[in-house]
Amino acid sequence: MLKRKLSNKGEQMARVVVPGELLADSPRKTNFTYVENEKTYSSILGLFDEVGFRLIPLEGVYVPSLYDIVVGVVEEVKFAGYTVDINSPYQGFLPAKDSRYEYELGDVISAKVKQVDEVKNIILENARKLREGEIVEISPAKVPRVIGKKNSMLNLLRTATGSEIIVGNNGRIWIKGGNSALAARAILKIEKEAHTTGLTERIETLLREEGK
Amino acid sequence: MMVVQMEKPKLLIDGKRVDGRALDELRPLKIQAGVLNKADGSAYVEWGNNRILAAVYGPRECVPRHDANPYRAVIHCRYLMAPFSTLDEHGRSGPNRRSIEISKVIKEVFENVVFAERFPKTAIDIFIEVLQADGGTRCAGITAAAVALADAGIPMKDLPCAVAVGKIENQVALDFGKLEDNYGDGDMPIAVAPRNNEILLLQMDGMFTKDELRKAVELALTAIPKINALQVDALKKHYAMKKEIEG
Repeated sequence: MLKRKLSNKGEQMARVVVPGELLADSPRKTNFTYVENEKTYSSILGLFDEVGFRLIPLEGVYVPSLYDIVVGVVEEVKFAGYTVDINSPYQGFLPAKDSRYEYELGDVISAKVKQVDEVKNIILENARKLREGEIVEISPAKVPRVIGKKNSMLNLLRTATGSEIIVGNNGRIWIKGGNSALAARAILKIEKEAHTTGLTERIETLLREEGK
Repeated sequence: MMVVQMEKPKLLIDGKRVDGRALDELRPLKIQAGVLNKADGSAYVEWGNNRILAAVYGPRECVPRHDANPYRAVIHCRYLMAPFSTLDEHGRSGPNRRSIEISKVIKEVFENVVFAERFPKTAIDIFIEVLQADGGTRCAGITAAAVALADAGIPMKDLPCAVAVGKIENQVALDFGKLEDNYGDGDMPIAVAPRNNEILLLQMDGMFTKDELRKAVELALTAIPKINALQVDALKKHYAMKKEIEG
């Protein structure tokens, strides 16, 4: 099944781990793990990279964190601001005093997470209304692969399709102009194959062959 | 469970049980992860003649709002038997006294393993549908729901699994079927965290001496690694399969 050779870009072989699986006999601190009796266990279904000691979740909802970029839909217009659906268990709030533009119900915006408190009240800033274009929704757990190391995958998509692309950490991706159909197809392919190695090469091939 | 007026069958003949199993033998068990498209996580379990479907949604916004807890996610669980799941009774669907109790104990199993404090104000909804019942459905339901929760990407300390043990003719026996459940001398569903054998649920119906209780728990613990291995297998297979499709 895994005849593909390892890619040379540091994508190590990772194995699938399940909640409660022992990862190390010593206490190690990594995201999505927990320590009990001086041993480290996985708390989620994820891909575990033994060499770098990293655990990457395979599934899961979006929980906002500071400085994330999100693509949201205005759900409610209030006097003080706007509540925004950000594809998460928590709603975002965009204070009216920080936004230059008046939004309407149903407007699609991109924004930055300005503040997250302990009960997950989310304050947004730097909102921008997204006109036209289309939105592709993927699992938030796969967003890092769409962006790639130092934006490598995203730059690849942008140059190959000529589209304007905004990737929200919440799993919503806004695409406008250029070969947007191809960009959407590539993004869905990335989502489906996010946990495999050699993904960049395959996306390159797809973009090259179909982008003519 | 409905007791039909019938003469008590012989549950143990030459050390073999009604379905030909040994005292410490499990019924055939099959687990499949990720069977539903719309749910965040799902699992299907065939355990003997039990057919059980589990679906998980969330963490998502808690409805009704006043149930939400600002410190942690609340877990909702709905265990339900389909009207066609057994031979008799269950003519009407919908929650009844029995299923409400089972929903509550299953919920408490998962409250002990889910890292709920990572998702304040939200709810995690677990649905367990018994399509066909043959004894030990709450155990099969817990086993299925654990896989569904993991498939939904919900952080947990462990993958709980459960099995029922009981007493027939003064001997403890593993994994009770419906007939043994109805005519045996007592049964005891046990849910365990396989990582450290922490007991998450222990109910008991019938009379057990202290010694029998100890034996019964020990017998249950021997089966837990087998059940857990199948759960892990189901999850890993689900992702290996995804790999193959693209490969």
